[in-house]
Amino acid sequence: MSSSEWERVERLLNRVERPARYIDHEWGASREPGFNYRAVLLYPDTYELGMANQAISILYERLNAADEVLAERCFLPWIDMAAAMREEDIPLFGLETGLAVRDADLFGITLPYELTYTNILEALDLAGIPLRARDRGEGDPVVLGGGPCAYNPEPIAEFFDAILIGEGEEAILEIANVHRRARDGGADRVGILRELARLDGVYVPRFYQPVRDAEGALTGVVADTGITPVVNKRVLADLDTFRAPTCPVVPFMDVVHDRASVEILRGCTRGCRFCQAGMVYRPVRERSADSIVRDAIASLKCTGYDEVSLTSLSTTDHSQLEDVLRRLTRRLEGKGISVSVPSLRVDAFSIDMARLVGGGRKSGLTFAPEAGTQRLRDVINKNVTEEELLGTVRHAFDAGWRRVKLYFMLGLPTETDADVLGISDLVRKVSDEARSCVEPSQRGSIRIAVSVSVFVPKAHTPFQWDPQLPRDEIGRRQDLLRSSMPRKGIELSWHEADVSFLEAVMARGGREIADAIEAAWRTGAVFDAWTERFDIGTWLGAFASVGVDPASVAVGEKSSNEILPWDHISCGVSRAYLARERERASEASTTSDCSFDGCTGCDACDELGVEIVLGGGTRGAR
Amino acid sequence: MPATNSESKSSLGVAHVAPGEFRLRIAYQKIGRLRFLSHLEVLRAMERAARRADLPYSVTKGFSPHMKLAFGPALPVGTAGEREYVDIWLTTYEPAEGLAGRLREASVSDLAPVAAGFVAAGEPSLTAACTIAEYEVIVGGDGARGTALAESLKTLVDSREFAVEHKGKKKVFDLARSLPKEHRVESCGRGATVDLIVRMGPEGSLRPDVFVREAILRASIDASIDTVTRTGTLIEDSEGAWRRPL
Repeated sequence: MSSSEWERVERLLNRVERPARYIDHEWGASREPGFNYRAVLLYPDTYELGMANQAISILYERLNAADEVLAERCFLPWIDMAAAMREEDIPLFGLETGLAVRDADLFGITLPYELTYTNILEALDLAGIPLRARDRGEGDPVVLGGGPCAYNPEPIAEFFDAILIGEGEEAILEIANVHRRARDGGADRVGILRELARLDGVYVPRFYQPVRDAEGALTGVVADTGITPVVNKRVLADLDTFRAPTCPVVPFMDVVHDRASVEILRGCTRGCRFCQAGMVYRPVRERSADSIVRDAIASLKCTGYDEVSLTSLSTTDHSQLEDVLRRLTRRLEGKGISVSVPSLRVDAFSIDMARLVGGGRKSGLTFAPEAGTQRLRDVINKNVTEEELLGTVRHAFDAGWRRVKLYFMLGLPTETDADVLGISDLVRKVSDEARSCVEPSQRGSIRIAVSVSVFVPKAHTPFQWDPQLPRDEIGRRQDLLRSSMPRKGIELSWHEADVSFLEAVMARGGREIADAIEAAWRTGAVFDAWTERFDIGTWLGAFASVGVDPASVAVGEKSSNEILPWDHISCGVSRAYLARERERASEASTTSDCSFDGCTGCDACDELGVEIVLGGGTRGAR
Repeated sequence: MPATNSESKSSLGVAHVAPGEFRLRIAYQKIGRLRFLSHLEVLRAMERAARRADLPYSVTKGFSPHMKLAFGPALPVGTAGEREYVDIWLTTYEPAEGLAGRLREASVSDLAPVAAGFVAAGEPSLTAACTIAEYEVIVGGDGARGTALAESLKTLVDSREFAVEHKGKKKVFDLARSLPKEHRVESCGRGATVDLIVRMGPEGSLRPDVFVREAILRASIDASIDTVTRTGTLIEDSEGAWRRPL
């Protein structure tokens, strides 16, 4: 962007909220000269949410470290800025050099959450890029998706030229190199995409055609000749192959998770049957203690943050966590720098670890029993007993904590009213346990925050065939829970059933959903993940306008032999294993964690040619 | 090796250094596009730069230990500053130039130190002491080139009072007090430069952009404010004399 173009942007900044979203020039932002391949990486929401995304951070670093490649960050401008940009005819631009996105070679868009889908269309439109891949011309960038929602890419498949399934550390450079070579060799757009489709993990939707029977039921997704019929996810065999990004861009404005972070392990095999992350990120791969400590210290030094977070799906499962925390707290003593450990397990070890890093701070602990009765916890394979939860709460309140947060889910398969009432009962027991540990004079400070979400059936989980409850039934059960929940010291919060309904439609839908997404965006839906912006009416109108019944997608039960829209995408976990797990759920039988107790036959390791990697060799007793 | 506290007191030439702590005053600039940072964002960025520079900063006691530092008067979002101030308390003495150099290396150029020096521990806080601000307002547009802007500003000043309404609250500034020195208007390439000196205080400070915008409005000229820069911040002593904090 020339200085005169920047002046046009700058003039807008006096009249928009939070101009720091758009100014770049942060510590660590990359503007190396000399490149012949330009990528723009978009997080499809605002700067303050996107800057926390570790995938963007990793890909940004990997691309900018490559020869003659420049990657820029991009976030969706908030409504005021988007309106001002349209008014002044300023197209969406990358932050670092102000490159117009439509002039980039690659437009990478991360897919963090189903309710950002309209934001993707907003970004494409602001960039001046046709929304549908088939309408793009030779001069348009390759629009590449990737991230958690890629595991059912079908609702958004038509908006993307290519979608990477799985982990991007290695694949992103392969994609850039193949693209650059094909481009320089004179290949046309289809030729470039054909080359990309040869890469492991790259799904090019235009080469796959959904086939339906006379009733409209999906009978398969057929690949064109020469194209792999099933796209297997990319997976990094050893996390220590690459260092965690130690010099990420350090934002000026207050962003979520505003701290240094080191991903200490990837994958979780606890096997919760509703959890997509627990299935699609297999197998478990830990970073070694030495590299975690090295990267945490290097990251703090390079960024100047006052906190480092050891992130993962299940941090307290790391086989060397205690060693890591002792070494880090010793190195950081007296510097006013803290270590945080998210995703605590329900056990005394987790409390001890939180105490080790927290010093005198006792801000709050979060646990996720997910269900109120042992029967339902067994159904979902949440291997936590009431005794363990109460024992952990006792340990925490004895150690000085006064706040805990408990996550539950409503509408899980086989749930009855007794299970709903069980949540209230369990919260009451937790509250009683907490009060019994605390002096009467201090009991007023006890807070139990209870957060209740709604079950969303996700692709590649044992519950992918199970329906979400109809919205009115969810409402009835929420009322039942609300009326039975104890009041004193309890803070109850909800996820809106309408939001979860839409999540389920996006999570389970096929390509027919694309028209509804576009219709919703055209009638004003954008930033749907923001409570104040979400309007179910807009969405229901959009579905009606394109003749799709969203309820049949979200609440329809699927038979176990039914063709699913995502069957041509594989995360390594076999369909047979998922079906077996669903069967065990119906019997309320639990399945153990292979990273502790040996293989349970999910097939991910064999299918992907990788193995469990444990920094300490083995994981101890749970 | 940094000198210990007891060894270094005399070399500082500072009479009242608190035991175990050295108060480093840094003058820094907030310019270019980084003028759009808020005061809180500047505060956070400066803390991070100090850690990157590995300054020997003091840490507060208590449940939530944090870097001990204190800023001068806040700058609004969108207003640049050529010489803003922050005090950072250090545990060991090192020459100020070296510390400032390290901090500059660890900072982005548009938000970076321009000078540094030690001050006495007993000096009043920057927010309390800095009561005078020098501003430069660049007004662009053809309408800014003639005499109309200068005349409009003079009329405004002569009216003695200036009322502003912010979030439903009305505030009236006594201009003799709020503008302790006569303003200047000069032509420049883009239009005109207005230099204003404004008195700041806990009761609120006259915003130069609001004042100049009102003058533009009243003059009915084709002009608008391009940039506002605080070029300096001054301490007014009990005798009424002004001096720079560093």
